[in-house]
Amino acid sequence: MTSKVYSDDVSLAVVVVDTNPFFWASAALPFADFFAHLIHYVNSLLLLNHLNHVVVIATGVSSCTYIFDSSDASASGSADVAATFAKASRKIEEFIAQDARCTASNGSVADSNSASLLSGALSLALCYIQRVFRSGTRHPQPRILCLQGSPDGPEQYVAVMNSIFSAQRSMVPIDSCIVGAQDSAFLQQASYITSGVYLKPQELSGLFQYLAAVFATDLHSRTFLRLPKTLGVDFRASCFCHKKTIDMGYVCSVCLSIFCKYHKKCSTCGSEFNRVMPDLNSMPDQRQ
Amino acid sequence: MYGGGGGGGGFNAPSTASGRRRNQEDEEEEEEEAGEGRVLEAWERAYADDRSWEALQEDDSGLLRPIDTKTLVHAQYRRRLLLRSAATAAARIQKGLIRYLYIVIDLSRAASEMDYRPSRMAVVAKHAEAFIREFFDQNPLSHVGIVTIKDGICHRLTEIGGSPESQIKALMGKLECSGDSSLQNALELVHGYLDQVPSYGHKEILILYSALNTCDPGDIMETIEKCKKSKIRCSIIGLAAEIFICKHICEETGGSYTIALDESHFKELLLEHAPPSPAIAEYAAANLIKMGFPQRGAEDLISICSCHKKIKSGAEGYICPRCKVNVCELPTECRTCGLTLVSSPHLARSYHHLFPVQPFDEVSSIYPNKLGQKGGQKCYGCQQSFINPDSQSSLHVRCPKCNQHFCLDCDIYIHESLHNCPGCESQRSSSS
Amino acid sequence: MPQVMVVARNFMDMVAALPASKLDMLYDSAFICEAVLRSLPPLAKKYALQMLYVSAPVVASAMEEWVLSDYATKHRVAIDKLLQLRVFVEVRDRRKEVSYKMNQKFQGNMQKYLVDGGSLPREPMPSSVTARLPTLTELEAYALEQWECFLLQLINSSQIEGGSSFSLSMMRTFQRGLLSSRDGEAPRLTENGFQFLLMETNAQLWYIMREYISSAEERGVDPTELISFLLELSFHTLGEAYSLNTLTDVQRIAIRDLAELGLVKLQQGRKDSWFIPTKLATNLSASLSDSSSSKEGFVVVETNFRMYAYSTSRLHCEILRLFSRIEYQLPNLIVGAITKESIYGAFENGITAEQVSLAL
Repeated sequence: MTSKVYSDDVSLAVVVVDTNPFFWASAALPFADFFAHLIHYVNSLLLLNHLNHVVVIATGVSSCTYIFDSSDASASGSADVAATFAKASRKIEEFIAQDARCTASNGSVADSNSASLLSGALSLALCYIQRVFRSGTRHPQPRILCLQGSPDGPEQYVAVMNSIFSAQRSMVPIDSCIVGAQDSAFLQQASYITSGVYLKPQELSGLFQYLAAVFATDLHSRTFLRLPKTLGVDFRASCFCHKKTIDMGYVCSVCLSIFCKYHKKCSTCGSEFNRVMPDLNSMPDQRQ
Repeated sequence: MYGGGGGGGGFNAPSTASGRRRNQEDEEEEEEEAGEGRVLEAWERAYADDRSWEALQEDDSGLLRPIDTKTLVHAQYRRRLLLRSAATAAARIQKGLIRYLYIVIDLSRAASEMDYRPSRMAVVAKHAEAFIREFFDQNPLSHVGIVTIKDGICHRLTEIGGSPESQIKALMGKLECSGDSSLQNALELVHGYLDQVPSYGHKEILILYSALNTCDPGDIMETIEKCKKSKIRCSIIGLAAEIFICKHICEETGGSYTIALDESHFKELLLEHAPPSPAIAEYAAANLIKMGFPQRGAEDLISICSCHKKIKSGAEGYICPRCKVNVCELPTECRTCGLTLVSSPHLARSYHHLFPVQPFDEVSSIYPNKLGQKGGQKCYGCQQSFINPDSQSSLHVRCPKCNQHFCLDCDIYIHESLHNCPGCESQRSSSS
Repeated sequence: MPQVMVVARNFMDMVAALPASKLDMLYDSAFICEAVLRSLPPLAKKYALQMLYVSAPVVASAMEEWVLSDYATKHRVAIDKLLQLRVFVEVRDRRKEVSYKMNQKFQGNMQKYLVDGGSLPREPMPSSVTARLPTLTELEAYALEQWECFLLQLINSSQIEGGSSFSLSMMRTFQRGLLSSRDGEAPRLTENGFQFLLMETNAQLWYIMREYISSAEERGVDPTELISFLLELSFHTLGEAYSLNTLTDVQRIAIRDLAELGLVKLQQGRKDSWFIPTKLATNLSASLSDSSSSKEGFVVVETNFRMYAYSTSRLHCEILRLFSRIEYQLPNLIVGAITKESIYGAFENGITAEQVSLAL
């Protein structure tokens, strides 16, 4: 892998930005301020190395889209960097409006606790990174940064996990910075599995300082810096039947679906279960 | 840089080397132990290993051209994908995800043949390693053991277990070959071991067979019958030529028998065994297994782990949700209450088998106007433009569900590695 | 690649060697700040970023906490570099504890950068004034041609052609260290000189620039201004036209020289003239080049030491001539032989066998 990259500190950073209106409506930090921090962060990455490449993907309640790509900006001449950022912020506003319309027309998600489409944004980010991998023998080192505020959507569990494993296989670390009130079990796992950094800043007004100090670090420097460690990862699963998070449950031996209660038939693969546990299985669990 | 005779003499190398190889194959049947007549020169070997001439093909006018690998690879992949989806579409998805597999590696004399570079044994070992990793990646709760055949005797190299590293290490340490091979001994041995696994597990044997004969102590038919009764699925990949008895074994036990043409084909055949095969209902009893999903302990908690009886801080271990005892690694069984402990990411590795991404439809942009409406000119996944200045044909694919367009590279990536359609995931389905 | 880094780093060492007041003056320009920041090692870059919004001095021992204890040396190197370039300033408080603080000018400029994004040193001229600008490929070809021509001159000053504006004394400065001339003999290429020819274009450029700047004082030009102009130049947009009227006198003289090297292309309009930065210029601040701009030739050496080089470049021919006997020269093919005499000749000039095989 190392032979394929440019040099130690050239990075491709894909930033996934949560634009969930339900979250930002009640967030401690206004979205405009948050966006300013983000622009600072993107600028600082571009400042560090002229070969650095930054892509921003917005993820809303009903859709995801690419907002900014620094390679577009440099292709059109760096003449109008300010204009590019103005375009990006216009694009994100348009996106939020569009997203709100989609959400409104889709009555089922009126719930104010709904999650953003993390799985979609991660999938897009990974596709983009694959393209960079394909682009030639020398490419920048990719990483993903998720700025998430809204809670996890248990219905995305399988898709998010698929993305995480794919990222792990291609050695793309997923960093997570939680700007909301609660920890995200998805991103904890994502950062843990892909050996990225998971951080929930205490003081959101200094968000840029966190971004600069932790998430602007290139992968090479990470090996010798003291970065925040993940304390405890929530490895609990969510069951397929009620999408609840559980710490103990039943697993179908045929398809490994997780259920919180005993069922007669697996809803995923249709296998019928016989109640008796097999003799050879030495689990003292057989009383049920 | 381009020193010495490499430039001039190099052109002869491919033809001689390929000629040699072909000769070797012909001779193989008659005299297996034919010694190496002439050792290849170092510079010849570079060409022979590389087989650069195989990357050429003749076009219509008889000119030599490099094979257009990209379209070829994609076509190959589409075939595979369609085949796979056809298989799963027929029945309701039922896959045996908990597999108990013994890999039987033939280390008889025949494995030292050099028709594969550097030898059959080395090629088998190399790809077996990749296979074991891929296998655990795709079948998280499964177990693998390795058995070798040498001097007509079978030997269990590793116990059946859930860790890829220990298996690979054991395999790499034991690479030497001699004597005859014996299918019956192998089957008998593995049968004995596989009889003990839990009933919900799928029992499988995968034999990587180099020899063209088998030296058995008794009647192999009886052994086959026994395996069939124990519902052991037996698959064989041959490296030499098709043998009747192998075919018979596979047919009887419901496995597959394939012969590798060359190294890349061998790899392909081997990796086909990594994804779980559709479960045959009678082969293993379905069951619900009670499992715990332990959490990592908090930093300040200090306890004694149940596996090594050592004092550990909580952050190094996991805590059983039922009896709160500390265990060091997952997956495992709780020593105290016997609950199977797994981490949920472990299980989730296999979920893409349950919810596969539908194959995308091929679209060739003969009507660029039609799809030029909304983001049609760019791949939805990677933003690459479909308009390729080099080639006129801008073939791409479309997801039948979300109608987003993807480039061919993304298509492969989505189906082979990501297992999510970015388009569908970026859309809130109205049902949820 | 490492060569470029080494030479470019050397250039920054030169910047670092400037007296503090001059260095502070340099930091008035945001572009210098940017170029300096980009030239830092990764860890130092990160520290600079981390300190960007910290106005109070940070105690040195606290900074050491940032790295894992095994990598303390890396930390030292990064901090030393930052101090050398006066990006960080050492402050001692009453209790004699060392703390670091960011250079205020530097900090201010960088903060501005983050808010506005990078801006441009000067506005490009409107396209209505400039008639027809060369395309990027034309520009690149022009740059390479100029550069090659310059190199050719450098190693073979006897065959001057096309009229060079470089005064002889200037050429001498460049040749210093690369060529050794004994009395009465034609100058010969030294080991360093040969090494120089084998470097990538960017590395060569840095080398020449360093010589150019260090010789500035002899010519009565302030090196600080040259450095600042050079670094500024690299932030101009490739292929855009910029008016010469915006330049100071020193800069105007410099730009003539730079045009000679192929860094910029000068064009004359009806009323005023302008310069167009080429790829060589815009790559300057990037200490590593993203595309090696050297033309790919193809050299075949047979076992009988006959050598065929498919190249149209006269420069290649000259390089080959250094250690081989050129027999024929066809439009796109050079045929030569490496003979005992030719190799001895090369050895006499201090070119080593490794260098020869490296060149091939």
